[in-house]
Amino acid sequence: MTPVQPKLSTDDVSLLMVLIDTNPFFWSAENTTSILFSKFLAHVVAFLNSVLLLNQLNQVVVIATGINTCDYVYDSAAAGALPNQRAESLLQKLVEFVVKDEQLAKEDSVDGIGSSLLSGSLSMALCYIQRVFRSGPHHPQPRILCLHGSPDGPEQYVAIMNAIFSAQRSMVPIDSCLLGAQHSAFLQQASYITGGVYLKPQQLDGLFQYLSTVFASDLYSRNFLQLPKPVGVDFRASCFCHKNTIDMGYICSVCLSIFCKHHKNCSTCGSVFGQAQTNAPSTSNQKRKTPET
Amino acid sequence: MPQVKIIAKNFMDMVASLPAMKLDKLYDNAFICEAILRSLPPLAKKYVLQMLYIDEPVLATSIHEWVLADGESKHTVAVDRLVQLRVFIETVDRKKGTTYRLNTKFQINLQKHIVHGGVLPREPMPSTITVRLPSLEDLEAYAAEQWECFLLHLISSGQAERTTNFSSSMMKIFQRGLLSQRDKEAPKLTESGFQFLLMDTNAQLWYIIREYITNSEERGVDTADLISFLLELSFHVTGEAYNMNTLTDIQRNVIKDLADLGLVKLQQGRKESWFIPTKLATNLSISLSDLSSRKQGFVVVETNFRVYAYSSSKLLCEILRLFSRVEYQLPNLIVAAITKESLYNAFENGIMAEQASIDSLLYIITFLQQNAHPRVAERIPSVPENVTDQIRLWESDMNRVEMTPASLFDEFPSRDVFEAACDFAREYGGVLWEDSKKMRLVVKAEILGQIREFLRR
Repeated sequence: MTPVQPKLSTDDVSLLMVLIDTNPFFWSAENTTSILFSKFLAHVVAFLNSVLLLNQLNQVVVIATGINTCDYVYDSAAAGALPNQRAESLLQKLVEFVVKDEQLAKEDSVDGIGSSLLSGSLSMALCYIQRVFRSGPHHPQPRILCLHGSPDGPEQYVAIMNAIFSAQRSMVPIDSCLLGAQHSAFLQQASYITGGVYLKPQQLDGLFQYLSTVFASDLYSRNFLQLPKPVGVDFRASCFCHKNTIDMGYICSVCLSIFCKHHKNCSTCGSVFGQAQTNAPSTSNQKRKTPET
Repeated sequence: MPQVKIIAKNFMDMVASLPAMKLDKLYDNAFICEAILRSLPPLAKKYVLQMLYIDEPVLATSIHEWVLADGESKHTVAVDRLVQLRVFIETVDRKKGTTYRLNTKFQINLQKHIVHGGVLPREPMPSTITVRLPSLEDLEAYAAEQWECFLLHLISSGQAERTTNFSSSMMKIFQRGLLSQRDKEAPKLTESGFQFLLMDTNAQLWYIIREYITNSEERGVDTADLISFLLELSFHVTGEAYNMNTLTDIQRNVIKDLADLGLVKLQQGRKESWFIPTKLATNLSISLSDLSSRKQGFVVVETNFRVYAYSSSKLLCEILRLFSRVEYQLPNLIVAAITKESLYNAFENGIMAEQASIDSLLYIITFLQQNAHPRVAERIPSVPENVTDQIRLWESDMNRVEMTPASLFDEFPSRDVFEAACDFAREYGGVLWEDSKKMRLVVKAEILGQIREFLRR
C-alpha cells in the first residue's frame, strides 16, 4: 500500500469536512454545555457560509454524528445545492437524520449521556477525502473539523485511533472544537497527531468568532498565523479487554494490544504470554526477567 | 528603452486603480464585495473574516500579532492590498497609532451574505418553460469555438469564416498593441501580440476584457457600471438561461459583445430571448493562477524537434506557424518542426525594439509545456530538455550584439569640461564609453537632452 500523496498547491482552495455532534442526550442535558442546539446551528451555518464565501472552489461537507449512526447531511458540491437554500436543505436533512437515529436506538442501551459515534463519522469523512484524492490531480486541500461535545466512548478507542493514523498518513489535519465542559482525550490526540488545532472555547456565545478566527484558516495561511497551541494532551489509552481508560497496563509484545489485566494469551494476535508473577508490579519488570532465565 | 509588455493584469488591479468615489459606489453591490473578497490573498481574506463583526477600529499592532514572524512579508502584502482596495479604512492617530476598520458598506454586505447565504443575481428560467437548453459540453464547445473565431479574426481577419458583431473600430482597439501595420503592408504581429497568442485562454480573456473596459467611456458606458455587470455575470450559474428582460439597455448591448467573445450564448425563445453564461463568464472573477480551469493539452514535442499537435484548429495552426515550420496537416493532427530559421523568424516577427526579448522565448516554452498532451504531461520535463536548451541557445545566438541608441561627443574645449560632462552623464547612468585621451564620450540617447542643456551652461 502506498500512501496517497496529496499535491500541495499554493492555492487556498479547501475541502472542509464538518462533523456535527447531534447526541440528543448531550444537547438536552443541563449543565453540559452553555449553548442551545439551535444557537449552535445558527453559528455553524454562518460559518459554513463564510467558508464558501472565501473561495468559489471551496467545498463543505457536513456529517452528522448521532449515537447510533452517522450520515452526510450537506454537501456543497452536490447537484442542486443552491447557495440561497443552504440552511434549509441542511436543516431538512438533519431532521431526517435525527429521526432515523432515534429509530435505531435500542430501548435500554443508554444510561447517562452516552457517547456519539465519532469513529464512524471520522471514517466517513476520510472515505470522502480519499475519493476526492483519487478524482484527479487538482483537488482541494481537505481538512476535518469536529464540533464535538459528548464524552469519549472508550469502546471506540481502536477505531478512532485507526482513523487518526489514517488521517495522519494522508496528511489530513483534524481540528477539534469542544462544546462541552470536559476535554476529550481522543480529540486532543487526534489534533496533536495530525497537526490540527484543538480548542475548547471559553465563551460559546461567540462561537462564530472562534470558528472564523481559528478554524476558517486554510492550510496555506496556517503557516503564517498564530493559532492556539496545545496546552497538554491526554495520551491515555483504553484497554482492549474492558474498554477502560488506563494509565498503566499490559502490552502484547507482538502486536502492541493493551490490556488492563494479565491474560494467558493475546486476544488480538493469539500470542501466548509467559507466566505472570503474582507480585510483579508491572509488565516491564517481568519482560526484563524473561531473557535472563 | 521603454517596452510595452503584456502583463495579464488581474481584474482586481483594475478595480483597485479606480478613484475612491467610484470604488465606494461599487461596494453597494453585494456581488462585487463577494468577488473582491475572493480575489484577495489568503491572509487578507482571513483578516476580513476576523474583523467582520468588529465595529471598532483595530490597532495595526494588534493585527500584526495575528501572524507569525515568518509571515511578515505576506502580512504587509495583505494589509497593503486591503487598504488599496479601500476594504480597510486606515486612520492614523498620533497618540494611538494606526488603526484599521472595515469599509462599512463592504462589511454590511458581507454580514448579510454570511447570515443569509449566497443569493443568485437573478432568477434562472423557470423549468415550466420547455426550451431545449444546450448541455454543459455543448456550451463549453460553443465558448471555445466562439473565442477561437474571435482570435482568428483578431490576428488575420481574412482567415475567419464568420464575421463578428464587433465594429471594425472596436476590433482596431483590440488590435492596437498586438498588431502593427506599416503603410500598405499586411499587418504584422508585434512582440506583445506574439506573447498574447501564447498565453492561456483566461489570460487572453483578461487582456481583451481590460481593453474593452478601458475603452468603455468612449462608447458612453460607465466604467464602474461595466465592471459591476461583468462581475455580477460571473456569479450566474453556468448553463442556466436568464431572461434578457432583466437587463438594462446598456447591459443588453454589452451582452451582445460578450456573446461574440463566447462568454454567453444567446438563445431566442418563442416570446422572450435568453442568455446562457458559459464557463468563460463564470471564470471571470477567478484569479489567473487557478489550475482548475486548465484545459487538456494536445501537443507532443519530440527530441528530434518535431511537434505533433492533435488538433484541427486553424488558430492553433497559426500559433504553431509563429515559431515552427508546419510540415503537413492531417484531419486531426498538425505536424511541425522547430528549426533555427523558424525561431529566428519568430524572434524577428515579435521584435519591435532592437533586442530580442527573453520573454518571447519563455512564452514559447511555457506554451509547449502548458499544452502538453496528457501522455507526455506526466513526464518531467514534458518538453524534452535538449529542445528547450537548443531554443535557448538559438535565442542567445541572436542576442550577441545589443544595440543602444547613443550620441557621440568630441572636440571638448577643455579637459575640465570633458570631465564635468563625464561626471554628469555618470550621475544619470548614461555613460556607455569614454576615451579620456582623445576626450571623446558616448552617452545613451535618452540623456542627450540633459547633457546638451548641461554643456550649454
